[in-house]
Amino acid sequence: MEWQQQTIQRILAKALERGGDFADLFIEERHSLNLVREAEKLDKVTAGTDAGAGVRVVSQGSTAYAYTNDLTESGLLEIAGVVANAVEQGNYMEIPVLEARTSQVQVDPEIDPRTISLVEKAALLEKADRAAREVDPRVTQVTVFYRESIQDVLIANSRGYLAKDTRCRLALGLLVIARAGEVMQTAYESLGGSAGFELLAEEAVIAMARKAAEAAVRMLSAKPAPSGKMPVVLAAEAGGTMVHEACGHGLEADLVQKGVSVYAGKIGQQVAAKGVTVIDDATLPHQYGSYRFDDEGNPAQRNVLIEDGILKGYLYDLVTALKDGQEPTGNGRRQSYHHRPIPRMSNTFIAPGSESPEEIIKDTPSGLYVTKMGGGQVNTATGDFVFEVAQGFLIKDGRIAEPVRGATLTGNGPEVLKLIDRIGNDQGFTIGTCGKDGQGAPVCDAQPTIRIKELIVGGIAENEEVAQ
Amino acid sequence: MKPVLEIVQEVVEYGSTMQVGQIEAYVSNVRELEVEVTEAKVENLQQAAETGLSVRVISHNRLGFAYTTDLSPEGVKKVVQEAIDISKVVPPDPLYALPEPAPFAALGLQDPDYGRVSVEDKINLAKEIERAALGYDPRVKKVRMAKFSERVYEVAIANSLGLVANYAGTGFSGFVMAIAEADGVAETGYGFDFNHRLAKLDPLAIGAEAARRSVEMLGAKKVSSQRADVIFDPTVATEFLGVIAPALTGDAVQKGKSLFHDKQGRQIASEVVTMVDDGRHLAGAAAAPVDDEGVPTRRTELITNGVLHGFLHNLYTAAKAGVAPTGNGWRSSFRGRPESSTSNFYLLPGEKTPEAIISGVSRGLYVTSVMGMHTANPISGDFSVGASGLWVENGEVAYPVRGVAIAGNIVDFLKSIVEVGNDLRFIGSTGSPTFRVAGISISG
Repeated sequence: MEWQQQTIQRILAKALERGGDFADLFIEERHSLNLVREAEKLDKVTAGTDAGAGVRVVSQGSTAYAYTNDLTESGLLEIAGVVANAVEQGNYMEIPVLEARTSQVQVDPEIDPRTISLVEKAALLEKADRAAREVDPRVTQVTVFYRESIQDVLIANSRGYLAKDTRCRLALGLLVIARAGEVMQTAYESLGGSAGFELLAEEAVIAMARKAAEAAVRMLSAKPAPSGKMPVVLAAEAGGTMVHEACGHGLEADLVQKGVSVYAGKIGQQVAAKGVTVIDDATLPHQYGSYRFDDEGNPAQRNVLIEDGILKGYLYDLVTALKDGQEPTGNGRRQSYHHRPIPRMSNTFIAPGSESPEEIIKDTPSGLYVTKMGGGQVNTATGDFVFEVAQGFLIKDGRIAEPVRGATLTGNGPEVLKLIDRIGNDQGFTIGTCGKDGQGAPVCDAQPTIRIKELIVGGIAENEEVAQ
Repeated sequence: MKPVLEIVQEVVEYGSTMQVGQIEAYVSNVRELEVEVTEAKVENLQQAAETGLSVRVISHNRLGFAYTTDLSPEGVKKVVQEAIDISKVVPPDPLYALPEPAPFAALGLQDPDYGRVSVEDKINLAKEIERAALGYDPRVKKVRMAKFSERVYEVAIANSLGLVANYAGTGFSGFVMAIAEADGVAETGYGFDFNHRLAKLDPLAIGAEAARRSVEMLGAKKVSSQRADVIFDPTVATEFLGVIAPALTGDAVQKGKSLFHDKQGRQIASEVVTMVDDGRHLAGAAAAPVDDEGVPTRRTELITNGVLHGFLHNLYTAAKAGVAPTGNGWRSSFRGRPESSTSNFYLLPGEKTPEAIISGVSRGLYVTSVMGMHTANPISGDFSVGASGLWVENGEVAYPVRGVAIAGNIVDFLKSIVEVGNDLRFIGSTGSPTFRVAGISISG
């Protein structure tokens, strides 16, 4: 993508021709490749190019946004005219000289995935498939997917920022189905990062495939999860869905400003137990949620959100930062040129503590031990959240006992964060796609082994009182 | 821009010079407008246009697929070549095929009047939604995302067997989230509606629904863990139908991923359950005269009085099953291949009003909102979701409930549906009336 400084300036000037507080331009060209191996064959290969641009004007709290696939200067001037017409008359401003921004975040691939042939990629999926099937004859279906996205972006704005980047993200995952008689169970594992093909070393992929197959088979004999309130220990390897839902979303500045976050107005207050520190860090090398610049051209940052239980700050994009008189925190992200940026998480985690995970389990007479979390959801206005336990075990007399089937854990964010009473010295990461306002964003969540004194486990009731 | 029909025909013509066996071109053109207002002021306004092309080639029984947004002659050349390159690495399968031309009847999905409504009037629609929510009850303190959105689309498909299909449509929707507050506690409620005709969208009803749902939750309590009857309102019921839908597709059955893979002809649900897929039902957002391969859409009864009849097929899964395609080859967008999936999928309504269903319940939960439905497992059928709603005692609503979870397995769930209401409502492309399920685990 070659764009002249003057051309970009003309587009921004057009967008601001009726005035405004801010304008930006986002140009994107994304090459995607998806492979799916299923039913023991390479079932699906799709490849494509998606190119487009969006222009935004912010004026007196209103945002106008337009996008197009027409990547000619006249195409971009046309959408700049559309947004200019949508704003009420505002302040006039000069477009400054654009200066290229720099960032030190390590996200470059070592091995460019485009140098690996389709045949080699397909062979890796086949190895993963075989490894999973070899674990147990009860493994009846394996789906292996590979996703590759190479996104070139150019971001320029009326503050004079210019950011150009190539973002390479890869993910490989498996869904394993095991069956015994009428019972079917599944297990899912994935690996991904802002990195190149070096991420997908054969040994790592095969180990992951075995792990997923073993989990699916183990689930066949698992009993339904219990129902009701109990202590819950979340293993580090379980990932960070809990922190993502229980507090991450509620700290996004747009929700805070709309008054639909239980964390609104609580900066400086105790919102979690002592010892709980929550950080959002887009600068972690090669993580799935890492980037050099956010989608508004702001350099990625490490943001401490909660420190030792005290709420320190929110996640801002530019519009919400302007409103609060703050600087953006590098969290203005968008799924693609189809969307305007909004405040989003990147890599969000609870910082490790000092305790040994074994001790935490030993000190728990009974409860639920979660080794894998699945998806989750939160109502930020009430703070109520749920997350899925994809794999779990009962804890009996301080020991890990029999496996139980998946169940939802439900709680209220600020209440649950205060109920964290043990924090391990380990840390585990999981990748995912976070959805908000119809936009998906690649994120990563992490946490150490933690214990929550009490959570509602949504399993199947044991001592059933039957209605009527 | 060139008419979409011309684009697909040119791509197919170009493909035939490339000596591919068969070629298909699919183009969609979408124009969108979305307005979001806050305090009677436009907070966000978005306007957009997008055209995308995807190409399938079948050469020596090998299928290649690629897509692009670059419709220049070089872009077309590149995407066809990419599809050919992919077809060379994919294993051959003699069942890969493209459909023959078949006649289809138009549906009238386009609002003849939409062009006459100004952007200003559409902004006013969003403002009316916000006003209606705020004016419903003084306890409604805020609203978020009072939105109006419009989609104007056109689809064209052509293949080298001579199939040419083309249709256009419009879709309008309104959305709002209301936040009611009392005693320092906030509760939320959503209002939503969709129509292919702009004049039929009712902003007052959307605002009022969100407000009513938020206010009725004020003072919510928890209930203790127990097993009780659960009544699902249509917004929640459709979410459950969304979990069942994938299990009724040819692809899931053929890959051993469906709960119902060996259940054809068997009773899989209670007798009050009849489920239909109908690509021609105008109340659903997925209405279209042909599917995304160009096969005419139709009404398919999947479950009749609890008995499973069959599955939904695209051309490939139909060939594999040895049946006729049902017009269910749908793409997620031009970026995806046509997969066997539901169009407008719904539970046929019964006779009772929702009020009559509630009045027959001695103790149970009327669920009006669930959280985490996407974590339900369509393969094992296990579900466990956060729920909120109204507690029912002796046939009457007693108090609101939130922060509980309900759990079970879809197989038992379908067999335990004991009553189906008369209030069929579509949420997007899935429709359901209110229904009652006997005996579900509630955790609190």
